[in-house]
Amino acid sequence: MIFNIYSRCQSKEEASGIVKMAAENSLEEQDVNMEENTPSKEQGVQKMFTLKKWNAVAMWSWDVECDTCAICRVQVMDACLRCQSDNKQEECVVIWGECNHSFHNCCMSLWVVQNNRCPLCQQEWVVQRIGR
Amino acid sequence: MITLAKKIKEERDKKEKGNRATESPKGSRISVRDKLLTKEVTELDENVPESCKVDFKDPNVLHEFTLTVTPGEGYWKEGIFIFHVMIPEEYNIKPPHVLCETKIWHPNISENGEVCLSLLREHTLDGSGWAPTRKLKDIVWGLNSLFTDLLNFDDPLNVEASELYFKNKESFRRRVEDYIRLYASPRR
Repeated sequence: MIFNIYSRCQSKEEASGIVKMAAENSLEEQDVNMEENTPSKEQGVQKMFTLKKWNAVAMWSWDVECDTCAICRVQVMDACLRCQSDNKQEECVVIWGECNHSFHNCCMSLWVVQNNRCPLCQQEWVVQRIGR
Repeated sequence: MITLAKKIKEERDKKEKGNRATESPKGSRISVRDKLLTKEVTELDENVPESCKVDFKDPNVLHEFTLTVTPGEGYWKEGIFIFHVMIPEEYNIKPPHVLCETKIWHPNISENGEVCLSLLREHTLDGSGWAPTRKLKDIVWGLNSLFTDLLNFDDPLNVEASELYFKNKESFRRRVEDYIRLYASPRR
């Protein structure tokens, strides 16, 4: 709930307004529920919460199924073991198969010569895309 | 502008220097295998079955070791079987080579010591062969299981051993025990 409010708001003021509204709404609901026992008290509700400060928090991750190259056992977003020792970090790209498994292009090109299957799922290796 | 040009030059110099440092491709190939092995060997110690023992003759050479299997059950119980494992330069694209140094009467190990274990096969049509996802510990567990779960009389390497088993299980057992007594008992 709170996350949605924050993500939709452009400014602090807007967010604080919505939070206030939400607070009022929930109190109103409460009042409805308790109607039989206590009469509603509208005056006290107004300043229940004041939003003084808020921080937006975001997280990110790579959108790939496996993040470690199963061949050289280095993260696919880093250069592979071979390129690291050959100092060719910039040339080391990632390759994705139709099976959605990813490897370093250089690691995979060594492996397909031996066996044209994905080392992880054993499916026939078909290239989906190459890039970073 | 000047700093950018300088930066490009620096990058180029660095690259050239790097290329010179690894002029022999063979040298860097070896180090890839050894880098992989350094990690694997550390894991290996914590991950071997009770019946197995791994020994490195030279602590600086990680691509060669002996595996001693002393099965706790089955036909080969109490025998001491020594396997020599050699890891080729192309590891982990190519699988390790394994030779059984102890003479043994076993359907999946020849009397010369060749071992028939699917995960050691370099080229396979199904997924049972070698893959770079496999590690030394899989080899150790695989060899250990040749005495129990992976024992396979239906696809033998030592055909004679398998035939004897189907013909007469008792004489098969006796032959196994003879071999153990002769070749796989503790040396005095």
